[in-house]
Amino acid sequence: MARTPLPIKEHTISPEERADETRVTTHPEEELRLARPSLRDWLDLRLGWYGFVRKNLDEPMPPGVGWWQTLGNLLMTLLAFQFITGFALAMYYSASPETAYDSVKHINTEVPLGNFVRGLHVWGSTLIVMAVVAHTLRVFFWGSYKKPRELTWLVGVFIFQVILAFSFTGYLLPWDQKAYWATVVGTRIAATIPFVGDALLYLVRGGAEVGSLTLTRFYALHVMALPAALIGLMGIHLYLVRRHHIAGPVLPRRGKPVPFYPDQLFKDAVVQLVGVGFLVYLALAFKPALEAVANPTQVEFAPRPEWYFLGLYELLKIMPSGWELVATFVVPTGVTLGMIFLPWLDRSESRHPARRQWVIVTGIGIILMIGLLTLKGILETPPPHHSAPADLKATKTSDSS
Amino acid sequence: MSPGRRKMLGAIVAVINVGIVGAIVGPVMGFVTSPMNQRGKKGWVKIARIEEIPDGRATEIRYSMRTKDGYHVVDREYSIYVRRDGEQVMCIDPACTHLGCRVEYQVDRDRFLCPCHGGVFDKHGGVVSGPPPKGLIRHLVKVEGGNILLHREV
Ligand code: FES
Repeated sequence: MARTPLPIKEHTISPEERADETRVTTHPEEELRLARPSLRDWLDLRLGWYGFVRKNLDEPMPPGVGWWQTLGNLLMTLLAFQFITGFALAMYYSASPETAYDSVKHINTEVPLGNFVRGLHVWGSTLIVMAVVAHTLRVFFWGSYKKPRELTWLVGVFIFQVILAFSFTGYLLPWDQKAYWATVVGTRIAATIPFVGDALLYLVRGGAEVGSLTLTRFYALHVMALPAALIGLMGIHLYLVRRHHIAGPVLPRRGKPVPFYPDQLFKDAVVQLVGVGFLVYLALAFKPALEAVANPTQVEFAPRPEWYFLGLYELLKIMPSGWELVATFVVPTGVTLGMIFLPWLDRSESRHPARRQWVIVTGIGIILMIGLLTLKGILETPPPHHSAPADLKATKTSDSS
Repeated sequence: MSPGRRKMLGAIVAVINVGIVGAIVGPVMGFVTSPMNQRGKKGWVKIARIEEIPDGRATEIRYSMRTKDGYHVVDREYSIYVRRDGEQVMCIDPACTHLGCRVEYQVDRDRFLCPCHGGVFDKHGGVVSGPPPKGLIRHLVKVEGGNILLHREV
């Protein structure tokens, strides 16, 4: 194809690029390129893509940024996996008490690669919780939430909550015993909240008991509301990260910022590879579990939540009589509010851990507590003579004269 | 364009947008929260014949009740402790008031034990020891023509 020079030279440089001093516009090759627009140039004129990509690849990384800053990217990758496997699973899944269990069983046993895809989704949820916790802890200890990044942190806290909500709603969907009873106990927590608890329980369950409406409710949240919320929040989070750049080490180091590409991007890729590799390994090595079908009348079942809610569950167990509300409401709400307001609670100028001791000490205390309780929950085998919770709801709304 | 007109049009846009948001949020909220309205609808349910219940002790009764579970009707099984002392009948909910495990009745000691964290309740459901914050819940019950009727939500 004969290339005729087109008089669009001026247009192929976006104003952003024009402002970019690193660009050598006078280079002869560049001139030639601009004179004969390739498909890339053609697209760039319409999308402004170069400027965008370049800006992100050239994003300055302060010296000292390294492996610790790869966790956010890993989290994004895992979430993308979750989104894709979730979409695939939804094609075989049927959200009704009569069909949910069988459809999941069908995925497990009959659909080619069903075990693998569901395994990716199940193990992915665990890895995501680990990654989001690690990412949050990194930001916490580096004090990266300080001015001007308060809103980045805040949005991140909301993302954290959305991820937990994902896990809680997703847990019910297979409709097996574990799913059913964990949800019975989990939703009952809502009922302990004073005044509105009872109404809240009905709202969450879609009725008096965990049943078909609970399942459709959770499903709707899991596949519509939460993904939409997550994508929106992630968009804001990323925009803010780029707007304020990476915070860098607590004490600024000497040296010039290096562009994101290639060094940091390479580290990101390595961590992504390790993370995804581990996920694939787990999905292949450990088949996703499916217990007996949910049976509301079979009460001899020990309810256990997913491991990352075990801490809360254990806390609930050790609370002395009459203090349940502390475990079900006060502590979780307190920790959440503490996270939300962290940038405004910790007002010290310095990001150095030694200069904001009370924050660090409180943080470590809370982390240790959660860790120990979770460990206790993991180690503790359910008592041999275990029973399932008879549904408290029935009792709550009944006369207790 | 005059500033007055500009403001005016801006206000109209704002009103239209509030209307649009209200038009979608209002009905959807009502739709989604509707289960809250069916809260606490109660009725009498027959659970057993009085002669089936031995005197002077608690007995676990399993009864099934036709309930509407969203879009389908199911027969659900429930269980409850019925205690009879002569003509006196009492229904005790098996859900432990601590974390909701099922309490078990011990005939020899005439007590209810919770297997989860060792809650102990006396023969009428009052707390004897352990973490439970209050006694087992007792349901309203009546006897009509030899039938034991339980007052519960239906
Ligand atoms: S649930 Fe009964 S003692 Fe804890």
